[in-house]
Amino acid sequence: MKNPLIKRIPKELSSDWHKYLVILVFLVLMIGLVSGMYVGHDSMLFSIDKGREELRLEDGSFELSKKASTEQLKDISRGEMADVRQYFLDKGIKEADSEVADAIEKELDEQVRSAIEEGVRMQCEAFGIVDEDMIDEQIDKAIKDNYDSAVDEARRSEEFKTAEKEAYDKAHEAVTEAVDDEWDDISEEYGLNDEGFVPVQVNIFEDFYRDENEDSDNDGTVDATVRVFKSDAPIDQASFNEGRAPQNDSEIAIDRMHAHNAGIGIGDTITIGGRKFDVVGLLSYVNYLTLHESNTDLMFDAFGFDVAMVTPEAFDLLHSRVHYNYAYIYETAPADKIAEADMSESFLKSLITQTLVYDNELKDYLPEYLRQASNFAPSDIEGDSSATSILCYILIAVIAFIFAITISNTIDKESTVIGTLRASGYSKKELVIHYMSMPVVVTLIGAVIGNVLGYTAFRGLAVSLYYESYSLPACHIVWSPTALIKTTVIPLILMFFINLFVIVKKLQLSPLKFLRHDLTKTKRSKARRLPAWSFMKRFRLRILFQNMPSYVILIFGVIFIELMMCFAFGLPDSLDNYGSKAHEMIFADYQYMLMGYKDSDNEVIETSEDSAERFSCKTLLYPKKTGSMRQGMGSGGDESVTVYGIIPDSSYVDLPRDLPKNHVCLSSAFMKKFGLKAGDKITLHEEYENKSYEFLVDDVIDYDGSIAVFMDNAGFNETFDKKDEEFMGYFSRNEITDIDEQDIATVITAEDITKVASQLNHSIGGIVRAFKYVLVVLAAALIYLLAKIIIERNERSISMAKILGFTNREIGSLYIIPTAIVVTICAACGFVAGYFLMMEVFKIFMLQMDGYFSYYMTKASMVLSVLYLLIGYLSVSVVDYIRIKRIPLDEALKNVE
Amino acid sequence: MNENFLVIHDLKKSFGQGEARQDVLRGMDFTVKQGEFCVLLGPSGSGKSTLLNIIGGIDTPDSGFVSINGDKLEDMNEKQLTMYRRRHLGYVFQMYNLIPNLNVKENIEVGAYLSDDPLDVEEVITTLGLQDHKYKYPNQLSGGQQQRVSIGRAVVKNPDILMCDEPTGALDYKTSKEILSLIGDCNSRYGSTVIMVTHNEAIRHMADHVIKLRDGIVRHNDINEVKTPADELEW
Repeated sequence: MKNPLIKRIPKELSSDWHKYLVILVFLVLMIGLVSGMYVGHDSMLFSIDKGREELRLEDGSFELSKKASTEQLKDISRGEMADVRQYFLDKGIKEADSEVADAIEKELDEQVRSAIEEGVRMQCEAFGIVDEDMIDEQIDKAIKDNYDSAVDEARRSEEFKTAEKEAYDKAHEAVTEAVDDEWDDISEEYGLNDEGFVPVQVNIFEDFYRDENEDSDNDGTVDATVRVFKSDAPIDQASFNEGRAPQNDSEIAIDRMHAHNAGIGIGDTITIGGRKFDVVGLLSYVNYLTLHESNTDLMFDAFGFDVAMVTPEAFDLLHSRVHYNYAYIYETAPADKIAEADMSESFLKSLITQTLVYDNELKDYLPEYLRQASNFAPSDIEGDSSATSILCYILIAVIAFIFAITISNTIDKESTVIGTLRASGYSKKELVIHYMSMPVVVTLIGAVIGNVLGYTAFRGLAVSLYYESYSLPACHIVWSPTALIKTTVIPLILMFFINLFVIVKKLQLSPLKFLRHDLTKTKRSKARRLPAWSFMKRFRLRILFQNMPSYVILIFGVIFIELMMCFAFGLPDSLDNYGSKAHEMIFADYQYMLMGYKDSDNEVIETSEDSAERFSCKTLLYPKKTGSMRQGMGSGGDESVTVYGIIPDSSYVDLPRDLPKNHVCLSSAFMKKFGLKAGDKITLHEEYENKSYEFLVDDVIDYDGSIAVFMDNAGFNETFDKKDEEFMGYFSRNEITDIDEQDIATVITAEDITKVASQLNHSIGGIVRAFKYVLVVLAAALIYLLAKIIIERNERSISMAKILGFTNREIGSLYIIPTAIVVTICAACGFVAGYFLMMEVFKIFMLQMDGYFSYYMTKASMVLSVLYLLIGYLSVSVVDYIRIKRIPLDEALKNVE
Repeated sequence: MNENFLVIHDLKKSFGQGEARQDVLRGMDFTVKQGEFCVLLGPSGSGKSTLLNIIGGIDTPDSGFVSINGDKLEDMNEKQLTMYRRRHLGYVFQMYNLIPNLNVKENIEVGAYLSDDPLDVEEVITTLGLQDHKYKYPNQLSGGQQQRVSIGRAVVKNPDILMCDEPTGALDYKTSKEILSLIGDCNSRYGSTVIMVTHNEAIRHMADHVIKLRDGIVRHNDINEVKTPADELEW
């Protein structure tokens, strides 16, 4: 026979449906949201992975200064290191031989001519001829008749042979010496003397591009830089979210995300490099999931940068410099990340040597695993869902505690029934199972509905959030076992164990105690004495004490919601604050980073701009593991730090005079992000070399724009083995127009600094703003449930109070005011705790990404974050008052049942 | 018939400590035959409810023992006590203690569920005259009807012992007689041993065995030669 108590469950559900509905909606929303996040996340990652294979994502790419010959590509693809030393030797000897041969010929010519002339002059003198014209005539004749035979004779002479050999030997010796010196430098710099070198064979594909100006609204001003690729590229292909590939030279397909941001749609006409193109497709390039123009960019920029596809014919019609970019795929795929890193290192060695021996120049090299544009989005998507699920679990734990309190109250209410059942032979286990069934059933229903919504409505939400941020391919929905575990199993476990703990503890008492309605485990020796306050005050305090567990959950819930409020208000505020202060933060309006300090003619790059000031700079890395709490956090990579060398009396950076060697100043962002102070030691290291540098922090430079280190220029050159006259760029207050664009690597302006903020604002700003209102509902629901429990528990007392003559208003003030006081105090305390906690959370959040901006909240936001919660509470207290009014007078006169 | 079905031997129980110590049972001895209708009679504080609780295995004595059909309760652990109650006992309380959100039939099914050999639920409902109320909830019933349900819940288990703790304590005269009559019927019909605690002297006349308690000891232990049917009782 089935346990008849089972029949109570649907009845219990229907009798108190509004309470369970609130809980269910709560669960469905949380589970649905997390399920949606995971399904969206898994589906998106699956689509990205699928795209990597189908769209032939490179294993890496490199750019050469000129188009590589077939032979060079063949040699590069073999992965062998070229014999650079021999190449230099051969080249040097060839040049030297030619120079020596020329010198010998010249010398021989001079000596033969001089010998013939001397002989003719002696003969003329013997014949008494003195006329110079006649003598010259005789000399010319003698040279004409005897030059060849004389040269032959000279060549045959031992003296000539010895001299010739000596000259060649000397030249060869000099060449060998020079080549050896050069080789030592190069091999040391690139580690080419690696005895353990293993050749890595690759397949190479042309993936040329041009960086053109994009005028999206055809108004004559440049709106973005667009990287144009050919439509027939055999590698790093694109998937089309909308439309199709270009088919003639007036058609173009552009990145979907950029198109969305710039308001470009299919059918629009845009100007690229001065030519008009019709947009026929919106695409996502497999190697540009985020629009990072350069791999060193702090943040991608889907507004100011675009990637596009045109036909090969249209590509040839464009005018800007062709970037001879080659993508490669390993012949044998690496087994893991470590193997991939080793392979890319070996391949780079081969590439350097093969570029040198073909007289080409390696402009850029980037293995795929380090490529921001293709790895930033997947790693960011990974991180998102874990944060959401933690949020979900906290809320489910809160719900589980609310459930536990509800059941605990039911057990109190049904104490005599439980006593009877126990006395009749019901085991504790059976009763535990019975009382456990409600939370488990509700959670299961919530999980089922939540998962269904996760796969339908909420998945779209998650995917659209990703689409708002990244240039992703079309999403294919996949079944996500992680979603099922995290949204069904974990909430059930949480609900199960929290309730099990409370119910088992509650049912520990003997049947007799239940029958006697004596549910205290230990008898309190004395009643809690209260100060001689007014009766109503004492009454309220008693209610507060009586419902302590409910209030503890309420306090926890309100503080948690306030923390979330601080996030919801603080994040957009921080982004806005960062954006608005960028112009104040930047110390030079323009930072021109040069390709080198000399131009192609080996002349030092100069400018006539008055405000221009030279600086040196270098990018090093700072390890993100300064404290145990922060260890393991972050993207795994180290923080990228810009080290500036500043000239004395700089008009841009106020560096202390006579800064000793290895003493540096840090940007305020660096100090704040890693909690550093003057006197600390920092160690920075090179990204690709096993070199590290230790510095002593001398002072702070008020600069929140980036993670930077400032040092004296002389110290910079000495530390990094630079020549005294070397520099990397110019700071300037005005735009510099007299430096060739070919010599400029990049220009940093305030807009680059705010890129992070504006991109984040665009990606998550909307969601975060909406999140505030969700929180208000969440707060109201939480307070509703707990206030309901408190009132239900006191129904008989309320009824009795009514019988005794208390008015509804008085009773309302008894039961609502304690909750109001608790909510208000907790909201205020929660805000303060939340504010300071968010500052710390923000620091940890910042560690996950490069760069820094501090947590900020406007005064209005501070007030609103508390006010919103109180508004949520106010609506609940109206419901509570109505509930109190509805409690009938005869409730207290009813039987226990 | 087992003459020593229920044995109470030198049962002692006290509450409180020191000066506040109160001896509720002070060495109680008696036996009950199987199928007997036994009434434990006594004024308030005589220890009858405590005795019932100890027999029911929901309270323990300080010394002495209770044995049912040869099994001593003191030898049983909590689990075994639960099984003992489940298999052998049916309880009827003064305040009914019905489950508020189960209807009459379901409340009776609660008892049936606990038993390996339950009576037919419908039959019990008919016997108790509850067929017109079987889909009603406890709060839709009068006190007498609620007590009938409570008896039904206990009887449907077909228990060896039916424990009744002041079953008419909250009922009016007429309803009390009906309830007593029902308990008597159950005793004769199903052969359950009935142990009824009451302070109503009149009820003694319907019992086979009357044990009168006062101050924690057995004052009288009488066997009724002539029983009076419940509906003829007067008080």
